[in-house]
Amino acid sequence: MISDSITNASATSAPTARDFGKKKRTNRSAKLKQSKLGLRREQWLSQVAMINKGDKEEMESNRRIGSEKPDQRDLPRPVENLDEDNNGTHRHESFIESLSNSPNSILSGMNSIPNFSSSSSSGSGGSCSGNITEEEDADDDGCLDDWEAIADALAADDEKHEKENPPESCQEHEDIKQSALIGGADVVLRDAKADSQRRKQKSNQAWRPDDKLRPQGLPNLEKQRSFPVMNLHFSSVTVVPSSCPICYEDLDLTDSNFLPCPCGFRLCLFCHKTICDGDGRCPGCRKPYERNTIKFEASVQGGGLTIRLARSSSMFCRVVCEYIRWYTNFKYIKVAISLFLIACENLAYL
Amino acid sequence: MIDFSRIQKELQDCERNQDSSGIRVCPKSDNLTRLTGTIPGPIGTPYEGGTFQIDITMPDGYPFEPPKMQFSTKVWHPNISSQSGAICLDILKDQWSPALTLKTALVSIQALLSAPEPKDPQDAVVAEQYMKNYQVFVSTARYWTETFAKKSSLEEKVKRLVEMGFGDAQVRSAIESSGGDENLALEKLCSA
Repeated sequence: MISDSITNASATSAPTARDFGKKKRTNRSAKLKQSKLGLRREQWLSQVAMINKGDKEEMESNRRIGSEKPDQRDLPRPVENLDEDNNGTHRHESFIESLSNSPNSILSGMNSIPNFSSSSSSGSGGSCSGNITEEEDADDDGCLDDWEAIADALAADDEKHEKENPPESCQEHEDIKQSALIGGADVVLRDAKADSQRRKQKSNQAWRPDDKLRPQGLPNLEKQRSFPVMNLHFSSVTVVPSSCPICYEDLDLTDSNFLPCPCGFRLCLFCHKTICDGDGRCPGCRKPYERNTIKFEASVQGGGLTIRLARSSSMFCRVVCEYIRWYTNFKYIKVAISLFLIACENLAYL
Repeated sequence: MIDFSRIQKELQDCERNQDSSGIRVCPKSDNLTRLTGTIPGPIGTPYEGGTFQIDITMPDGYPFEPPKMQFSTKVWHPNISSQSGAICLDILKDQWSPALTLKTALVSIQALLSAPEPKDPQDAVVAEQYMKNYQVFVSTARYWTETFAKKSSLEEKVKRLVEMGFGDAQVRSAIESSGGDENLALEKLCSA
């Protein structure tokens, strides 16, 4: 896992370095161009948002997968499973509570030591506190490792997922419950067969708190994400004009890879947005852009699918590991609570 | 807001190709909203040998809106108004594209002079003459070209009228007031 994250980081760092080099060159030009460049970036981000509309089909396929598992849902669940279900529904809260409860558990461990006279009880208390501290360190490392990759998925999918498909979130919770019931190894084996789309959604849910921790970094991540797609497009192009035929400004890397119409007419994102706000017809062939943009999205998705699959599979593995850590952490919290209750009883007895 | 940098680059482009095409674009004043375009008459047409001036007004939405063009030189053409100089050309109206430039628009107007479209006329009188009596149309168009679109003919007109016995200064002022029409100038001189 660590080697995978390192390779991914190195892969993403190279294009970012190129981007920074080009940005320095552009910054030397006049302020007007800088303002236009800002506008172009915003338009490109809006284009990326349009591309994500294709996720609707993925949502539908997930619904079908959900419907194919009635047997597991019909199984009766024991009382312990009910408790786990409740914890699953409030998973994000429990994640935060686990962080807040850890100092309390340490305090309870400290309090328990003088009360228990026997050596065995004090030994168990020490072992519990030690395990909790190790878990905290592991969680921090996991967060640092998974930061950038998972934020990609969150930035792309959060908004649409929350707004458009609230019922599917319930289905996702149920999926998580089922995976919790099965052992860790079984979870890995089964979910290897599942779709990449499912993996995206789980990763989407698991790392919402990271959004709050790092909101400012998101635009950079989106740029990194869109960069390899642009590379694919660039390889297919034979002749690239150096300037926009409408505003006569120089085309930068983003604009030169932008191909909104099958007739091959190229223009910068700024002019494209102005035309879309107007009549929306291609200056080259005078046909409307609406149909053409859909084709554009399809081609982009087709080109980028391999990249997305690679990312999503690695992210899924991390998410499963994080979930297993959380689950074991939850077990230790339970043990700490039970010890605390025993200590209270002893105090009352004294 | 007009894209002035684009207009400046277009003017440079026209100057670069001026010798080969004969098309020129010059600004009228310090700003770039009013321009004057000059096109030669196409060879093999009644307009051959003439130089036609076109007033160009750049809208605020240029290049996403078409420029407004009209002839300042009087032309006898079915698709150009003989009174106002208004041009009936689709790319200057609904078929405008931001990829077109002033030069391409002027070339299109030049092509319109070569190939009139009388079924969609701007001037009904000229179109009717074109349809019913083509030879009269050709001779009238050539006459209008020689009268209004040729600069060298001014001296010839002055000579002809001076030979009739009128003064040189009177002749020039009459021709200027009549807009270059020799017959109209002659009438004015006779009535005076």
